[in-house]
Amino acid sequence: MRTTLAVAADLMREAMKRKWFLGLAIAITALLVTLGLSLRLDVVDGALAATRLFGKVSRGMTIQAVDVALRPVLEAAAWVIFYGGSVFGIIACADFAPKLLSPGRIEHLLALPVRRWELLVGTFLGVLGLSVAAALYGAGGLTLLLGVKAGVWTWRPLVAGLLSSASFAAIYAAMLTVSLWARSAAVSAAIGFVVFVSGIAAGNRHTLIPMFEPGVGRAIFTGYTMPFPRISSLGSAAASIASSQALEVRSLGSLLLGTLVFGAAVLALGAWRFEQKDF
Amino acid sequence: MGAPLAIEARGLHKTYGGLFGARQRALSGLDLQVAQGEAFGLIGPNGAGKTTFIKILLGIARPTSGEVRLLGGDPEGVEVRRRVGYLPERLHLPHAWTPPAFLASVARLKGVDGSPRLLGDLLSRVGLGDDAGRKIGGFSKGMRQRLGLAAALLGSPDLLVLDEPTDGIDPLGRMEVRRLLQEELGRGATLFLNSHLLAETERVCGRVGILSGGRVLREGRLEDLCQSSSHYRVRFAPGHDAQALAAAGFVAGRDPGSWRCQGDTPERLNEALDRARRAGALLVEVAREEKDLEEVLQEAVRSPPPPAVREEAA
Repeated sequence: MRTTLAVAADLMREAMKRKWFLGLAIAITALLVTLGLSLRLDVVDGALAATRLFGKVSRGMTIQAVDVALRPVLEAAAWVIFYGGSVFGIIACADFAPKLLSPGRIEHLLALPVRRWELLVGTFLGVLGLSVAAALYGAGGLTLLLGVKAGVWTWRPLVAGLLSSASFAAIYAAMLTVSLWARSAAVSAAIGFVVFVSGIAAGNRHTLIPMFEPGVGRAIFTGYTMPFPRISSLGSAAASIASSQALEVRSLGSLLLGTLVFGAAVLALGAWRFEQKDF
Repeated sequence: MGAPLAIEARGLHKTYGGLFGARQRALSGLDLQVAQGEAFGLIGPNGAGKTTFIKILLGIARPTSGEVRLLGGDPEGVEVRRRVGYLPERLHLPHAWTPPAFLASVARLKGVDGSPRLLGDLLSRVGLGDDAGRKIGGFSKGMRQRLGLAAALLGSPDLLVLDEPTDGIDPLGRMEVRRLLQEELGRGATLFLNSHLLAETERVCGRVGILSGGRVLREGRLEDLCQSSSHYRVRFAPGHDAQALAAAGFVAGRDPGSWRCQGDTPERLNEALDRARRAGALLVEVAREEKDLEEVLQEAVRSPPPPAVREEAA
């Protein structure tokens, strides 16, 4: 486990030197600082009386309890973290595995006292760590901001951020595994987007199915989307949790279990391939 | 071979490709043994299978058949690998890192001491002491090679497997690397060197193997390989008759008084020397002719393969 964590920590250290991640950290920080300096929430007796952004008073607002008034903000933030984070992750993390497997690097790593599965799982955990850190930084920053500005302290955005990381973990497992067949950042990103879109379709299967002709078409669509994690359902759950609304999905546990099973199965396939492969 | 073995390969075969691609044979029954504490050099033309052999040796690739043991154990064993330092031919290094950060990462993965003082000493040892604060991305090829060598030396490994260690390093730097390798040999490490620079191999290694067509064609102590079995270098005292010596079958050498002659057997050698003495030449020195490694390599690669190889090829 020590070696696996060392591999993960090295990947995170390397990522923090990359422009993509430096850019993300700067963008999140800049957004939070800008909001912190420009947003003013006037709370009177637990009710949001007025909102000022860059000194301008928002018009058309009715006075309501501050936690209720902030629900749309938290919901929107959850959507942005979930979908924006996934898209950013697919693009920014696409070349981690291809670089790890590049000639001259993989030989060096495999000659060290590191087992192949440790290298694979370490890489996966490193990317997962980055995803969790970015999601918690964004969601935590927003939580802190709203807590200080409006006195609303809630853990819900953090949970929404963790759900987005869980969803991205399943996507990245597929990206990592495909790199063991084709060492290409483009192919890795393409597979990431295929899983992402297919996962959105899987979550909306019942809404989309009437668009297909009854019979073979529907069976193929159902069969195709069946193995994918229900990403859009997880996204909805994240938004609902962040905004303290009732969950639309019947069981968050089964959703997460499905995502975990998909990720673990794909990663196991990758580990098998890695063990067989010559470099 | 009395000493325990650091490297032991028996009947190694490796074939790449399959299904739709043409199958390519990289190793065809390679046998090799390297004793612990020895400096062994592997030489051969491009495509001979040297890098494939090193990869199999370190468990980076698996043989199609045959057996390989490293320091008496499985090459994929974690404890065995902890005792090995490896420098690949083209080492890919993280550009944004500094040398101490890279070495600290390798130390963590190797499970050896990676204290800043030790890493600093190691960087000074490979000549990068003044560049410790620079990013690796700005390093020249030679500097990267030195850093790779430092990574291989981390933890004082029992076996050093170096693939072109002086590639890109300037002549003075090569001397430093040679000194460093001699120091490692001095502390008892085994050195397995793969280098295109034959002079490098000659200077560092005590034993050499010539690999071609995926098989070791010749292997032995450097002096044995480089000594000719049939040609001798002869020196006569000044005043000899050059024409008479030429007529007796001697060929003039580069230096004055130096001649070459052929003698497949002691009888033939003495017959040739008798002819020279009859011609009035006074013998002052006779020694087996020594070839350089380049000549040995050429000879080995151009000579027809042994029967076993021919049979297999057929």
